[in-house]
Amino acid sequence: MTSEKHPLLEKFTEQIQHCTRCGFCQAHCPVFGATGRPALNARGKMLLLKEVLAGKIELNQELVDSLFQCTTCASCATNCPSGVDVPNIIKAARQEMVGLGTCHPAFTGMNQVLDEYGNIYAEDEPGDFDRERGGKAEVVYFMGCVGQYREEDATEAALDLLDHLEVDYILIDEVCCSGVLEDVGFSIKPALAEKNIERILATGAGTLVTGCPYCYRTFTGKEVYAPLREAGLEILHFSQFLARQDIGVSTDLKVTYHDPCDLGRHCGIYEEPRKTIKALAPNFVEMPSNHANALCCGAGGGVRGAYAKNSLAMARRRLDEVEQVGVDILLTECNSCMHNLANAKLRAQKFQVMTTAQFIVELIEDS
Amino acid sequence: MEQRDKEAIKRIVGEEHFTDELIDLVSYSYDGSDHNHRPEAAAYPADSEQISRIMRLANERRFPVIPRGAGTSMTGSVVPAKGGLVLDMVRMNRILNIRVPDRQVVVQPGVVYAALQKALAPSGFCFPPDPASGKVCTLGGNVATNAGGIRGAKYGVTRDYVLALEVVLPDGRIVHTGSKCMKSSSGLDLTRIFVGSEGVLGIITEITLKINPKPTAFRTAMASFETLRQAGQAVTDIMHSGILPSVLEIMEENTIRVLREKSGADLPEVAALLLVETDGYTEGEAEYAVEKVVAAFQDNDAKTVSRAGSQEEAEKLWAIRRAVGSAAGSLRPNNLSEDVTVPISKVPQLLEGIQEIMTGQGYPFVIFGHAGDGNLHPKIMFDGSDPKQAREVHLLIDKVFQLTCDLGGTLSGEHGIGLAKAPYMHLEHDAVAMELMRLLKNTLDPHNLLNPGKMALDQ
Repeated sequence: MTSEKHPLLEKFTEQIQHCTRCGFCQAHCPVFGATGRPALNARGKMLLLKEVLAGKIELNQELVDSLFQCTTCASCATNCPSGVDVPNIIKAARQEMVGLGTCHPAFTGMNQVLDEYGNIYAEDEPGDFDRERGGKAEVVYFMGCVGQYREEDATEAALDLLDHLEVDYILIDEVCCSGVLEDVGFSIKPALAEKNIERILATGAGTLVTGCPYCYRTFTGKEVYAPLREAGLEILHFSQFLARQDIGVSTDLKVTYHDPCDLGRHCGIYEEPRKTIKALAPNFVEMPSNHANALCCGAGGGVRGAYAKNSLAMARRRLDEVEQVGVDILLTECNSCMHNLANAKLRAQKFQVMTTAQFIVELIEDS
Repeated sequence: MEQRDKEAIKRIVGEEHFTDELIDLVSYSYDGSDHNHRPEAAAYPADSEQISRIMRLANERRFPVIPRGAGTSMTGSVVPAKGGLVLDMVRMNRILNIRVPDRQVVVQPGVVYAALQKALAPSGFCFPPDPASGKVCTLGGNVATNAGGIRGAKYGVTRDYVLALEVVLPDGRIVHTGSKCMKSSSGLDLTRIFVGSEGVLGIITEITLKINPKPTAFRTAMASFETLRQAGQAVTDIMHSGILPSVLEIMEENTIRVLREKSGADLPEVAALLLVETDGYTEGEAEYAVEKVVAAFQDNDAKTVSRAGSQEEAEKLWAIRRAVGSAAGSLRPNNLSEDVTVPISKVPQLLEGIQEIMTGQGYPFVIFGHAGDGNLHPKIMFDGSDPKQAREVHLLIDKVFQLTCDLGGTLSGEHGIGLAKAPYMHLEHDAVAMELMRLLKNTLDPHNLLNPGKMALDQ
């Protein structure tokens, strides 16, 4: 059955065969939801890989638009009656394809850019956020590429909030954690990881707080970042850090919360963000899909860069849910989700999209 | 199909609604069965007019056309066995109107079953048949396979709710069948010819369905039995008791063992479990019915009887039932899952007969299903990469079909025939019936262009 040509993929042979082709993933896949194209949902991808393993088709360029068009949101795996671990299968397939010289150009580009610039946007100079970098402090705040180069206002708000809470924190000259490369067929860059580890540990901090859920996943889960964990550093996502704070402001505004896939389905962090938000805004409502069933914003897995039109269409489906519950504010805890949802929002949609930190800072300023 | 045919289709549906990319062709080669064959292209039509033009082209150029919904069929019924053009109905997904005073909805075939239920919910109405694939399957597919579900015992199957259809015939003509009245005795029942026709006679482009007020009260009870006979007698007694349960499910010992071992379900070691739901429009109605059910359990010496005291407890019991398919499926890479059906009173005989056929053959199997309407799902697990195993398992299934037909049953209660059961049609249908079916197919589709190779209708 197996061709023995694809060692990374063949580790998942049994898993791929366990896909019974029931198609239930179609109800949850954001890419299918936006495109209506079954070749792009998890079943479509598993069928392609099944034929690859059977030697019927080649793992070549013709498969890129399916196998590289996945936000790795894991809603398929969460809902698969056969327990197929689709996100890790997709990762293995992409790595196999890159090894064979086949990839979406957006990801080849991202890999090269990270070698040269140390951030995914090929930016030369990071914003300075008017704060010192690299001294000693109790807490390191790690912004992430999106926070540092695209959603500067969200980062500014997070830092203002830390100031307001009188947290003893410091920024470092951070480079991309490079965790996302594993999702798109490449590997984490040890040189970048070493820089981050060295600079984080040099602060003498006991706590590392990340603004980005993906950085949090990388620091807490990836082997190359083990020295952070071995040093006894407590690693928290900003939402977990906030849940421990007494914010002391509140509002009557009607608010909902978008679960970022990297925080929710991938890390199981659902309640900490809600704890903070519900304390601020008792008029909190859930969207029709929430927690483990939350619809993806469409930005992950490199899809925003590689398939921008479909990525926006996915975000619009999520925004439809926001409209359905009729709120004033959509909050999220991921700068990348924020970025995509805010970009996709139509002028007619009157609610605001912001991070919890931005919302809190606004409330503090108004109070 | 030649390139010029593809160009002609693009002119009909628009270039962006046509594909012959490999990723799509592979995807459209499969359904939920083990059958597969690649089409040559796929198109996403917007309306019946486009489909009509495509069928006229197909007739002129002689290429097969295979209508497709969500592709969740279990029999290969949407597998393009002879290549050709797949028509994915995903764009025809509008609910055209909901007319509660008429108890009707009109939908396009690409509407997902769950989307209709969601749209009906505010009015307190529902479309009662409830296929397990409801969150993804389309209503066009439901009609084309006469889909059933877990509530067949009380609410029947899709056929019982289809009032009228719009269908594009193989030659491109558009026909309107049935009537948008709750009753009609006018003319031959053309609607019923197309319900369950698996896309071999025409392409369904509009469906008028009857809807019901949704019950508001529910009760759930479960009982275990030391013997299959006792469980079978309990089912018979429930049928005699003057009530109709909305769900009456049976699971036999292999199923119970798999649930215990694979899903960690807290279940006794017994020969059979019965799981029942009663419903009504008042609490009293549902309660009255469940009391009758519990009495039937006790009269037949049930080893254990449990009643859900709350919605959470009921949900726990239903979660056990829902776990069957995946728990069993995880035992081997492949499985064959059938939907043989017998008169309700023959369920114990069918269960025992299937156990006898499958026990000791080296393949794990489970049998569960809808005892309330006689529909059982034997599921046998194997490794399909080993041709010997695939052959042996199919031989066992042959015997199951023979047994079912010997008991006066039918090959399919709710999945349809497709490719998987085409070779067995003669077991159930006599030569004259087969001849009539082929005559009908040949009259409507003389060039055998619509979904060819299915239901043993090819001449």
